[in-house]
Amino acid sequence: MSNSAQDWMNQWQALAQRYWDGWKSQGVTPPAGFGKLDANAPWQAALDQWSQLFGKGNSQSDVVDRVTANAKSYVSLMQSMLNSSLGQGGDGSAAAWTEALRNGFNIPGMDPAMWNNPLGTNFRDMAGQGAKGFEQLMAEFSRGVGPFKQEMLSGLGMPAFGLAREHQERWQALGTALVEYQEQTNRYNTLILKSSQQGFERFQSKLAEREEPGRQLDSVRAVYDLWIDSAEEAYGEIALSDEFRKVYGAMVNAQMRVRSLMQLEVEQQTRQLGIPTRTELKGVEKSVQELRRNLKNTQEAGSIDLAGEIAALRAEVAALKQQLADARPAAGKPAESAPVASKPAAGKPAAADAGTAAPTKKTKR
Amino acid sequence: MGPIRIEPQKALDDALKLQQKLSAGAQTLRSLDPVTFGVTPKEAVYKDDKVTLYRFKGERAPTQKTPLLICYALVNTPYMVDLQDDRSLVKNLLAQGQDVYLIDWGYPDGSDKYLTLDDYINGYLRRCVDFLRKSHGVDAINLLGICQGGAFSLCFSSIYPDKVKNLVTMVTPVDFHTPDNMLSHWVQDLDVDLFVDTLGNIPADLMNYCYLTLKPMRLNQQKYVGLVDILDNKTELENFLRMEKWIFDSPDQAGEAFRQFIKDFYQGNKLLKGGLSIGDKRVDLKNISAPVLNIFAEQDHLVPPAASRALKDAVGSSDYSQIAFKGGHIGIYVSGRAQREVPPAIHEWLAKRS
Repeated sequence: MSNSAQDWMNQWQALAQRYWDGWKSQGVTPPAGFGKLDANAPWQAALDQWSQLFGKGNSQSDVVDRVTANAKSYVSLMQSMLNSSLGQGGDGSAAAWTEALRNGFNIPGMDPAMWNNPLGTNFRDMAGQGAKGFEQLMAEFSRGVGPFKQEMLSGLGMPAFGLAREHQERWQALGTALVEYQEQTNRYNTLILKSSQQGFERFQSKLAEREEPGRQLDSVRAVYDLWIDSAEEAYGEIALSDEFRKVYGAMVNAQMRVRSLMQLEVEQQTRQLGIPTRTELKGVEKSVQELRRNLKNTQEAGSIDLAGEIAALRAEVAALKQQLADARPAAGKPAESAPVASKPAAGKPAAADAGTAAPTKKTKR
Repeated sequence: MGPIRIEPQKALDDALKLQQKLSAGAQTLRSLDPVTFGVTPKEAVYKDDKVTLYRFKGERAPTQKTPLLICYALVNTPYMVDLQDDRSLVKNLLAQGQDVYLIDWGYPDGSDKYLTLDDYINGYLRRCVDFLRKSHGVDAINLLGICQGGAFSLCFSSIYPDKVKNLVTMVTPVDFHTPDNMLSHWVQDLDVDLFVDTLGNIPADLMNYCYLTLKPMRLNQQKYVGLVDILDNKTELENFLRMEKWIFDSPDQAGEAFRQFIKDFYQGNKLLKGGLSIGDKRVDLKNISAPVLNIFAEQDHLVPPAASRALKDAVGSSDYSQIAFKGGHIGIYVSGRAQREVPPAIHEWLAKRS
């Protein structure tokens, strides 16, 4: 081993030792064998141990999972950058640093299909539980069908006949939809991979701009933030392209066709078991909404009619009272002999007597 | 000279600092109380199915006679406008003397799958407005629409011009076809009928996933790396988690209303171009006669500023004002700058037209 290589190894060993010493004081132990041979033990491994301090199922575990997942990428990047800063892994050029960054995202143990594709990894990590279930189903399907796709497609085109022909046609439609969805997903993933690659290119280009004196990046965080800016710019450009719009639409539509045909299959099974189906439930829900809408309209219309009728009656009562009041001083006769212009409608309550009726102004409110 | 000059010692110090933050976080995370939002006292004054109309109670009685109704979007919960004590549009509007009401659309379930935009705008929104007109004894109210709720408010003001005294729109899309509108771009080739027929109500998780993928690295990675920086600060961590809760505690979208919104607004751009009907009522922005204050955010990645600016030439009102806020779609409610600038601007504008 050359002196420079030995120097690097010694320096790196010392730094790595301090890193793991720091964790040990927090109750996190370095990987087995560390300190003897493996100074390159992945630093992000500490994050897994840290996250285990919280256990699972508590209210903070989601936060911890999120922090852990993303901090691991960051710490891996940190280790890769630190390694490079010690003179290993390149000539210090923008290209060499970009390579270090790229390596930093390739965490040992991750799905090799996601290497050099941090955006794809990101998408996979963020999928919600509902989507994840569907994606896992599709992943299983892809693994099983991938090698036999052509044979399967030709089989799916075969004519169906006999007692089970309707069922067979449904299954063929589902099979075709699954293959179609897989193809559209592949097209989408290709664009995401392209976005990752263009992100690295942009990063290298932005780094090159930092070569002039006084503009150097001096922290891992600054490097990381520049990478995020680069990745977002590249993704934003692709995501606004016509190609992406078509691919995205086709992928979502293909997934919906699969889901829709799966729902149909489930309905077939549940109908056999006498369980209400989704279609039946939708029919009921639609009827309920129509009833609810009609009821509200009727109530409102009734309420408006009733309000109008009450207002008319009140006006009539007021007029009667006025007539009574006008008649009393002049005639000096009992009120019942006063002329009545109109009467309340049959079945309606009679007007209250003059002594207890509310003032006109109030009744108009 | 190379572009990066990271001193090994500094890099290690950063790594050790990160360790300390994480370790402190182990304590802080365990000490947090359950996260809540919606801080200003309020009273439910009207209910209509799952929709609730709330009246907020300020520390002093309102000085404005005309009630101000906030109409929020169907996506997310409306408590972004009252997130916490020092980040509350509602609280600041109350302090200015406004009488503030808010429509909470609730959480649609399967029984609400067939709610249409007609039900929402000509039904729930109109009945809330009528309730306020009646209870306050006024012919028209002040309406403040936010995002999709702003689009609803524009439709409402066009259909029922006599019921709206003043209209304020915030981060409201009007032109859905501006070239920088990523959401709109993505749905142009979507088979919406197949989408809604298959999913029924649109799950909130799916909506949130879609929003995250607008800026995937920033929203799903950088944000959580940045979270490590505040793991040792209980207050900041609580603020962060409160925002997280708001982001992800979202209602599903009623399928039929979603179908129409995507078809007519996002794909057809009918709010701007014309040809939009809500139920049997035509919407024409030229029919809006009330004074309009249009507030949008210059760094809005969900509703690009150009999408909102289009209102100026589209609206019929001769009294149109706009404010370009320096911030994003969420920052316009919760940033420190927003607290200082937005509520006073709204109040001042309304007061001049009271």
